[in-house]
Amino acid sequence: MPVFISAVLVALISTLSQWWVSHAITRTWLYPIWVGFLVALAMGEPIIGMQAAAYIQLTYLGWITAGGTMPGNLMAAGVFGTALTLLSGAEPELAPTFAVPFSLLGIFINQAYMTLNSFWVHKADKYLDNNNITGMRIMNYVPSGILSLVLYGIPAFILVYFGGGVAENLLNSLPESLIQALSVVGALMPALGIAILLNYLGNKKLVGFFILGFFMTIYLDLDIMAVTIFSAVIGVLIYVFSIDKEKTEGEA
Amino acid sequence: MSETQKTNKDVVQNDKKNINLKKSDLVKHWLLGYSSETAYNYERLQALGTTNAMVPIVRRLYKTKEEQAKELKKYMIFFNTEPSYIGTVIHGIAASMEEQRANGEQIDSDDINSVRTGLMGPMAGIGDTVSQGIVYPILAGICCSLALAGNVLGPILFEVVYKAIMLTMGYSFYMLGYRQGKNSILKLLQSGRLNKVTEIFSIIGLMVVGNMAATRVNVLTPIEFTVGKVRFNLQEVLDSLLPGMIPLATTLLILKLVGKKVNPTYIIALIFVVGILGSLLGILAPIE
Repeated sequence: MPVFISAVLVALISTLSQWWVSHAITRTWLYPIWVGFLVALAMGEPIIGMQAAAYIQLTYLGWITAGGTMPGNLMAAGVFGTALTLLSGAEPELAPTFAVPFSLLGIFINQAYMTLNSFWVHKADKYLDNNNITGMRIMNYVPSGILSLVLYGIPAFILVYFGGGVAENLLNSLPESLIQALSVVGALMPALGIAILLNYLGNKKLVGFFILGFFMTIYLDLDIMAVTIFSAVIGVLIYVFSIDKEKTEGEA
Repeated sequence: MSETQKTNKDVVQNDKKNINLKKSDLVKHWLLGYSSETAYNYERLQALGTTNAMVPIVRRLYKTKEEQAKELKKYMIFFNTEPSYIGTVIHGIAASMEEQRANGEQIDSDDINSVRTGLMGPMAGIGDTVSQGIVYPILAGICCSLALAGNVLGPILFEVVYKAIMLTMGYSFYMLGYRQGKNSILKLLQSGRLNKVTEIFSIIGLMVVGNMAATRVNVLTPIEFTVGKVRFNLQEVLDSLLPGMIPLATTLLILKLVGKKVNPTYIIALIFVVGILGSLLGILAPIE
């Protein structure tokens, strides 16, 4: 695919990763596994890009974004991390280490986006005061899109269109020992996503189930689908028994 | 007393118009609710998007532009909830209250807004747990495994299944809110059933996360030395003691930091330092 077209498509994907036109479409564009895959398609490298996106995704597995604050910018990590991995020609295992700087820088980009968007709300107030409903609706959709194009789209275009040679040279200039070291970092990184998720899901009472899942995998060599199925069965059984118990207690 | 009040209200209602929302208005309202974070901002979060979603409802209920704009204005206040899975119940309730109000029931703007702001916190709590704590990580975990194996179904399955669950739940909760009103959701919250279901999903989530810790934290130690003629491989020793010790210890150590509310940025910095030093000193290596 010509670089220009790839760059335009990635810029569009990047814009929509923050400009959530409708969650019915863009809800999943927040997540590296999907948005990174879209970037991979746009750059004509579906398989390697998909694997890079999956490695990035694992790092951010447990990152909960509530109330508009996020501990790192997932969208920037997914879009820019995948793009840079493909541009540099690095192994997909290195993708999380490429994604991290974008994710950190992206925190400020996200704050700028959410701060500037407040202006359109005031504009919308004025439109409603003048009984202009269409004006209010335009304020909901249009200005934030232009803002996201500037903050997310244009940087993505520049990275893909001009960044290829630079990224490749950068990777080639890294000594082999450092690349090996970065892949250790990449291999450790999923532990953070997992730990955040664990902290979110697990109260002390339930943490045994994490240990159970861990050693079922280690000793029985079960894959993730098998563990999901077993855990669903265990969960449903516990539910059924606890309802029964409630009933008998109610009768007694 | 309440009997007389009720009859009075009925009289008022009969005197006034009788406009009902159509199914298509409700569907539009539900769908437009997915644009509630299009102009997401710190000042009022989902206020503008929620107002935008309300347009089909007020257009059905009120004739003039002036009336419509006046009714919409009350939605321009700070509002934030989980907008895609369960928070839609609030929009359903709002639609049903608007309908009653337009038909002469004694419901004013403050009544509608106090119900909405009262529910937005609890619904965000449950909704975020379901969407971000359960559906997303379990599904993403499974799909990452597929993707890393080179299977294109990984991301595609993620997209399709995520949206199917999201839209089904979002629609059901919207309609629940519209049909049953605010009482249904209060009852649901009080019964404790919802907590129990959340707990079951937490169990599934935890076990899946256990699997991911075992398979996705891919580090080992390459330390090896010979004492006399005996070759000593630390990883083999660890494996015979407790397989998966390094991934488990790593995860639990980071969990400890997360539990102490250490900023994730610092944890990332720590992982970089430990990973790079560990690799350069020959203590850690990635599993190929």
